[in-house]
Amino acid sequence: MRKSAIALIAILLSASPSFAKVKVVATLPWIGSVADEIGKERVEITTLVKANQDPHLVDAKPSMILAARKADILMYNGLDLEIGYLPILIESSRNPKIQPGKPGNFDCSHFITVLEIPVSVDRSMGDVHPLGNPHYHYSPARILSVAGGMAGALSALDPSHADAYKSNLSAFREKIRAKEKEWSALSTKGRRFVAYHKLFEYLAADFGFTITAYVEPKPGIPPSAGHIERLIETIKETRPDGILLTPYYGRRETDFLTQKTGVRGVVIPHDVGATPGARDWFSFMDQTLSALVK
Amino acid sequence: MKIWRRLVLVPSLFLTMASPSFGQDVESRLKTLEDTTKAQQQKIEEQQRLIDELKSSLGGAAAPGAADTVARPTPGEAGQATGQGQGGTTAKVTGIFGGSAMTNPYISLIVNTFFYGSDQKQAELDSRMIPGFTNVPVGVHKGFNLDSAELFLFAPVDPYLTLYANIPVTESGTELEEAYFVTSSLPAGLQVKGGKFKSGFGRINAQHPHAWDFVDAPLNYRAFMGTEGTGGEKGVQLTWLPDLPVYLQLGVEALQGDNDQLFGANAKDGPHALTIFAKTSMEIGDSGTILFGPSFIRGKANIPTVADNTTFTGDTDLFGFEMVYKWKPSRERGFVLQSEYLYRKQSGDLRTGDAADPASTLESLKRAQDGIYVQGLYQIDRWRIGARYDVLDMFKKDFILSGTQQDLGKRPWRATGALEFNPSEFTRIRLQYSRDESSRDGKTNNELYLQMLLGIGAHAAHSF
Repeated sequence: MRKSAIALIAILLSASPSFAKVKVVATLPWIGSVADEIGKERVEITTLVKANQDPHLVDAKPSMILAARKADILMYNGLDLEIGYLPILIESSRNPKIQPGKPGNFDCSHFITVLEIPVSVDRSMGDVHPLGNPHYHYSPARILSVAGGMAGALSALDPSHADAYKSNLSAFREKIRAKEKEWSALSTKGRRFVAYHKLFEYLAADFGFTITAYVEPKPGIPPSAGHIERLIETIKETRPDGILLTPYYGRRETDFLTQKTGVRGVVIPHDVGATPGARDWFSFMDQTLSALVK
Repeated sequence: MKIWRRLVLVPSLFLTMASPSFGQDVESRLKTLEDTTKAQQQKIEEQQRLIDELKSSLGGAAAPGAADTVARPTPGEAGQATGQGQGGTTAKVTGIFGGSAMTNPYISLIVNTFFYGSDQKQAELDSRMIPGFTNVPVGVHKGFNLDSAELFLFAPVDPYLTLYANIPVTESGTELEEAYFVTSSLPAGLQVKGGKFKSGFGRINAQHPHAWDFVDAPLNYRAFMGTEGTGGEKGVQLTWLPDLPVYLQLGVEALQGDNDQLFGANAKDGPHALTIFAKTSMEIGDSGTILFGPSFIRGKANIPTVADNTTFTGDTDLFGFEMVYKWKPSRERGFVLQSEYLYRKQSGDLRTGDAADPASTLESLKRAQDGIYVQGLYQIDRWRIGARYDVLDMFKKDFILSGTQQDLGKRPWRATGALEFNPSEFTRIRLQYSRDESSRDGKTNNELYLQMLLGIGAHAAHSF
């Protein structure tokens, strides 16, 4: 009798957390997508920033604060990309679980090698990120590394399902390896592009192409007429394979450059959900790479 | 690394050659040399590993804050990094007082400067009041004005508290406008703020003037609280964000009550102002957000601001209702519609003249007055265009002196238009025109502001 009572209590104790899903709050769509691959049915994901919003210029909206209030874990890009709202969001959430230093405060950038860390920086250089280029979500190796970190963090929060996270991670690894073969077979190597914004450096490093010039004279600073004139000359001389832009960045300037030089604009989704076909991180990368070689 | 190896190899070669084995045949000597080199190589590798370990453990212990920002390559991709700009990862700033990343709070400085033009004379501006509401002029000078350079300092105190300080430096001196802590780790969605801070009453009130959508405060703020709202008040605030499907923030504050239009520092010994507010918010469609809620503040009053040469003693109640709608479909477009209604009741005694003077008079005064502003701003790329309309005495205009309603003149109102250019996130240039009819005497003040706001230092957060 006593044994069965203890067993029942043990079952209840171990079973109770298994009913509750881990509440994941992801700042950006790609983070939500990768967390979904690792957490699957064990997690409930809320993504704060929509693909049509600039991740750097978002306000800490009440709906975001409410989501963060209920989170078990907050996953963010890091490298100061969310500096404009993340500190106030975390403070206003009043949620002890997601405060800095707690297991529920998950900075994805901790798991990657950062490119372009400036040796010295001030704001005369435009919107340069002092901790390095934050747009690493185009790098399959880095995403795999972040996914590994997520599996670890979710297992720590929900140890009874650690095996599930581990097997989801293995499946994700297999899928990414298979896709990497597919992607590296595309003829991206050796190509040269002009880019609107400093967004594609990890993509270039991983897929062997170069970015020869930027439409923005400095990150975050729109081009002047004089800068566009000089760029037209550069493009005419160097004939790059295309001008990289995103659905929300640089359409007008690129159309003008295409008209003047004949070099095509290449629209690349800047995140999951930015184009109708980019439903998750894999289709987002599919679209990105097929656009480069089109 | 290379130097290390050379330093070890040179003596090892020397030792090998000087050893007794020198006399043996060449092959065995070479073999010995090879073995020794291999052993040395292994030793060097071991030492390097030890050095790396020590380095990382030292780095982790000395500056946990800085360690957060250092890239941690994972074994799988270490070989993949292009090495571009990697030099900065191990750089650390240390001084006799420790790592600066740890000991320095975040600092930012915001400079607010403007040019003011008006068709009124300076003397008229200095005595321009809103009769029945306040005798305090706006306090701007024709020509160039330096409103302030606001110094903000903030940092976590420990894992439980964050400290904020706001020190505006003006031409007349330095103030301590705000200095308060905020908790981050209380359970159940509770948060405590304490020290000197801007009250959560209303919307514009809790914002810093540089974050306002116009140069100056709306008329109802100026009439009931002053040109900066309640300003920093000493006290304690408790807010609660319950775990509900909708955003609802509830707050109460106990304040010292120093504001010279609502309370007055000498109204009562000890804290005498109490605030209650609620704010709720919903998403409307894909890009819209609405936030609204009521606020209430009450306290004892002892103020010289009803009219010149008077002192009012009594009680103050101020009710407010705020509403803001924001629509932000993209980076380049945005729209904000915002309004606040304020209703103030005061009842007590108005003394005209000095209390010590037997010729001074004492009359009963009951004021029940209201006012509203409505403003809208539309953003196109780096530009914003805005309009605002303020009016007082909208539904209620009681000014009852010794039981008799006073006729104070025309209804005060003001209309404002503004054009902003924001070259970057850290600079704002604003041109603003107002037609101010708040003085009730028919004297219109046509005002023009050309304002420049500049911010340097730590990145400011964008609260909603």
